[in-house]
Amino acid sequence: MNSGTVKWQRNIFIASFIIPTLLFFGVFTIYPVVQSLYYSFFDWSGMSETKTFVGFDNFKEMFHDPIVWRAIGNDYFLVAGKVIGIMLLATFFAVALTRFGFKLAGFFRSIFFIPNVISVVVIGVLWNFIYNPQIGFLNAFLSLFTSEKVSITWLGFSDHTIWMLLPPAIWAGIGFYMILLIAAIQSIPASYFEAASIEGAGEWKQFWSITLPLVWEQMKVSILNIMMTTLNGSFVIVWIMTEGGPDNSTQVMGSYLYQMAFRQFHFGYGASIGFIILVLSLITTIVLQRLMRHDPVEMS
Amino acid sequence: MIMKKKIAALGIAVILAAVSLVGCGSNSNNGGAATNAPTKEPAAEATDAPAATDTTVKLTGDFEIQYFVGGYGDKWWKKVIADFQAANPELNIKESAGPKINDQNRPRWIGGNPPDFVYIDGPVLNDRQMVEDGQLEDLTDWLKDAKNVDGDLISDILAQPAQQFDGKVYNIPLVLNSWGVFWNKALFKEKGWAEPTDFPSFLAVSEKIKADGITPFIHTGKYPYYINGSFLYPAIVSANNNDFSILQDMAANKVEAFESPAVLAALNKIVEMRDKDYIDKASIQINHTDSQMLFLQNKDAFIVNGLWLPNEMAKDVPAGFDFGFIPSITQEAGGKVVANTSTATVAIAKKAKNKEAAKAFLQFIFSKDQASQWAELSGAPSNIKGDISSSNAPSHVKDAAKYLTDPNTVVIPTITYNADVDKAMMDATDALTISKITPEEWVKRVTDVVKKVSK
Repeated sequence: MNSGTVKWQRNIFIASFIIPTLLFFGVFTIYPVVQSLYYSFFDWSGMSETKTFVGFDNFKEMFHDPIVWRAIGNDYFLVAGKVIGIMLLATFFAVALTRFGFKLAGFFRSIFFIPNVISVVVIGVLWNFIYNPQIGFLNAFLSLFTSEKVSITWLGFSDHTIWMLLPPAIWAGIGFYMILLIAAIQSIPASYFEAASIEGAGEWKQFWSITLPLVWEQMKVSILNIMMTTLNGSFVIVWIMTEGGPDNSTQVMGSYLYQMAFRQFHFGYGASIGFIILVLSLITTIVLQRLMRHDPVEMS
Repeated sequence: MIMKKKIAALGIAVILAAVSLVGCGSNSNNGGAATNAPTKEPAAEATDAPAATDTTVKLTGDFEIQYFVGGYGDKWWKKVIADFQAANPELNIKESAGPKINDQNRPRWIGGNPPDFVYIDGPVLNDRQMVEDGQLEDLTDWLKDAKNVDGDLISDILAQPAQQFDGKVYNIPLVLNSWGVFWNKALFKEKGWAEPTDFPSFLAVSEKIKADGITPFIHTGKYPYYINGSFLYPAIVSANNNDFSILQDMAANKVEAFESPAVLAALNKIVEMRDKDYIDKASIQINHTDSQMLFLQNKDAFIVNGLWLPNEMAKDVPAGFDFGFIPSITQEAGGKVVANTSTATVAIAKKAKNKEAAKAFLQFIFSKDQASQWAELSGAPSNIKGDISSSNAPSHVKDAAKYLTDPNTVVIPTITYNADVDKAMMDATDALTISKITPEEWVKRVTDVVKKVSK
């Protein structure tokens, strides 16, 4: 068998793996994106058979739509809140359950992971019950410490309601990233910590100098993943809990897209919002990757 | 062109598949059963003759009915379709039904392959939008002399006439429901509270209710169309000398209608309730189920809702709970009751393949027998004139039917607002109830949207 034949057979072998994947990706990812961009140039109700070409009008209108800006602000507020909240808590629990020989570590790992196996819809409904001003757990709990019955309208502050969506979103995300970080911490050779301990480094010093630098890659992946899933997936929790209200105060781009496309019959406008979500996700990913380029192992 | 339609339909299907949709609750688990199977050749010539009684015209071919299953259930639909099938044995009737059917069939409407007959109710479907999109058959001329299976003119037996879009009729109201205010008669009797008949008596009793430690009023803030439909719109009509044309002008996007003193007067009634602390603060964040549960637990004395409430909450109504209902409490002392109707309509698709069967079905369902049958099986009054007092319909339905047929009641016909304006009104009302804006700001906000959609 000459080298040319071998090379040709190898290429066929490689192509047999790559082409189906490319086809699948093209049909189910690239094509819908292109189609969404196509629709965004039309004034279309989403029900009619005819569409009116309007060029960039939908995009121009978005710039003058205060709800769009509010939704973008809410999206990034949730991204920041979830990244900070989830990473801090997931790291804390991951360290606590791996570094101290805690007997019930396995049990607590399972407990913290439970929200990840629950549907986001169920989580939204559950937290709606918690926040219910009349029969909710939160007000009932707070009433234990006061002489009068507490009846705070947690999801009715209008301008600040978006804050109330952070606890369920963080609670739902901790478990997965905790497991990811636990796996990363457990892959660090114990001899590193033993050596540091002999040198007199305390737990805090060991965390900053050994644990954090060696799990940084997993942390980067986690932060990017939280950001992506929030920008693209906060729709569900928002829609279940508030439907973007009261008075559009909790609107995110995903929920506003749905509202405009399927409730107010502006499908072209909804498609343009969808395209902007894609662009924002790409820009945010690139910026975050640039910001997180440095290697903490080199720096520590 | 066909290719483009198919691409558009596929696109919608892909998007729908990617979106989780949580709609209004329904007890039905009946999934949609739409098919895209090619239809057989329908009957050759359409006639206005009643299908079930005319033996000269046999309805054949496929005939597909799309109906949303929500608060009114599907018992009536099952029964009436079975009866229509029995009357037309050679017709192959297909049902596309379920709580998600409007979403499931959307690609077919876009692709120019809709079902023949559609019941316009539930999310996604909006009659005004469907008319603007050219999806519905113009029934104007047909309805002028269309007779039902009993030989009565259909237009004569409608309790409320069909809504007109630029002078044309595309859909006919099947249900004649009403928004209004509910209370628990048993609780009122026990506490010695007077049942309200107008706004002054409502305020007076609300003060007593509040003094007794119960919150007077709850609404569904998550879906503000409840308070708009039951309180705001009747209040606007009352303040406009009982003339509901102001609402029709609002639906026609006439800015001056929104700037009318009647609108401000109505909004100020909400402000008065709010400032007297009668509105349950929980309202702003809760959905219909939560607000209804609080009402059934007597935590709130009044709730704004539609006549489907007792039926919707049938499993949760406590023993001894006795529904009191009035279509409006916003009229001044001695003023007329204003009933803001909530209807669901039926229509024929413009691209229906079997229009004659669809028209025959309209003739079949708009008959006096169906008035009682609808009331019994759906728990709501029908839009067909007919005495249901001897039927097995629930008592509150009979009471409502009395209100709706009383000459002293101002009955607001079906009015569909522009979707953007409707949303602006809902958001603004929510904001008003939590003191975020003033009535003048409500008007400013909404008229800004009206001007924008009128361009």
